[in-house]
Amino acid sequence: MVKRDGTRNWRRLAAGPRRCARRAGWIGAGRGMAGGVAVLVVLVVTAAFPEAAHACPVCFDRDDEARIAFLATTGLLTLLPLGLVVGTGAWLRRRARELRGDDGGGGD
Amino acid sequence: MTARASIIPFRPRPQRAEKLISNGVLGMLLFVFVEVMLFAGFISAFLIIKSRAVGSVWPPPNQPRLPFEETAVNTSALIASGIVLLIAHRLYVRGKESVAVLLAVATVLGGAFVGLQGVEWLALIREGLTLTSSTYGALFYTIIGAHAAHAVAAIFVLAWAWVRMTRGRLSREAMSTVALFWYFVVLVWPFLYFQVYL
Repeated sequence: MVKRDGTRNWRRLAAGPRRCARRAGWIGAGRGMAGGVAVLVVLVVTAAFPEAAHACPVCFDRDDEARIAFLATTGLLTLLPLGLVVGTGAWLRRRARELRGDDGGGGD
Repeated sequence: MTARASIIPFRPRPQRAEKLISNGVLGMLLFVFVEVMLFAGFISAFLIIKSRAVGSVWPPPNQPRLPFEETAVNTSALIASGIVLLIAHRLYVRGKESVAVLLAVATVLGGAFVGLQGVEWLALIREGLTLTSSTYGALFYTIIGAHAAHAVAAIFVLAWAWVRMTRGRLSREAMSTVALFWYFVVLVWPFLYFQVYL
C-alpha cells in the first residue's frame, strides 16, 4: 500500500473497497439508481481526501506567493457573495425603517 | 319582487405600502451581483497565474508593458462620468424635472473612456500583445475586454435613458436602474486597473 518513495499508493488502497462494492452488487452493469448512489458515495468520501486526488493546490504548493494567492482568492470568493447578501439585507432593512418613519429607537 | 335597498358601508381603499425596492432596481441589483462574482473570478484567476509566473517575473519578458500612466486619463474620465451621473441621479430622484444635460455629459465621458481604451488597445496590438501572444495577453484582453463590453452596453443604456428623458418619459425607477448599472461599471474599474495595469 506504500510506494517506494514513502507515499501511499492510493490506487491500490481504492481497489479493496471497489472490489467489495462490486461483489455486493452496488456498482457494475445494470445497477441503475443503486449504482449511481454508490458512485455518489464514493465521490463524496473521496472529496474528504483531497490529497489523494492532488486536488488541493494550497496543500502542495511550496511557493509562498502562490499559496498566499490561493488563500486570498479563496477568501475573496467565499466572503464576497456573503458580503453582497448581508450588505443588501442591511440596506433593505434601513430603507424599510425609513419608509415606516421609524428611526430605530425602539419597537413598534 | 321588491328591490331591497342595501347600504354599502364606505370603506376607504387600503393604501398600498410603498415598494421597498422597484422591480427594475431589484433586477439590476441581481445582475450586478452576478457580474461582481464574474469579475472576482477573473481577478482570482489573474492573481493565481501571476503568482505562479516563471521565475516570479511579471509581466512576462518580451511582452509590452501596459500604459499605466496613459490609462490614468481614461480612469479619470470614467470616474468623472460616475460622479456626474451620481449628481444627476440624486437631483432627478429628489424631484428635478430634467437632468438631460448632466446625463449627456456622463454618457459622453463614458464614451471617451471606451474610445481611449480602443486607442490604447490598437497600440498594444501593434506592439505585439494579442489574445494569443501569451497568458498575459489572454488575461488582459479577457478581463479588460469584459469590462469594456459592460461599459459599451451601459453607454447604450445611458443614451436610451437620455432620449427618454428629453421626451419626458423617463421614470425615477428607470433612472435608478440605469444609474446602478453605470455605478457598477465605474466602481469595478479601479480594482481592475490597479490589479492588471500595475
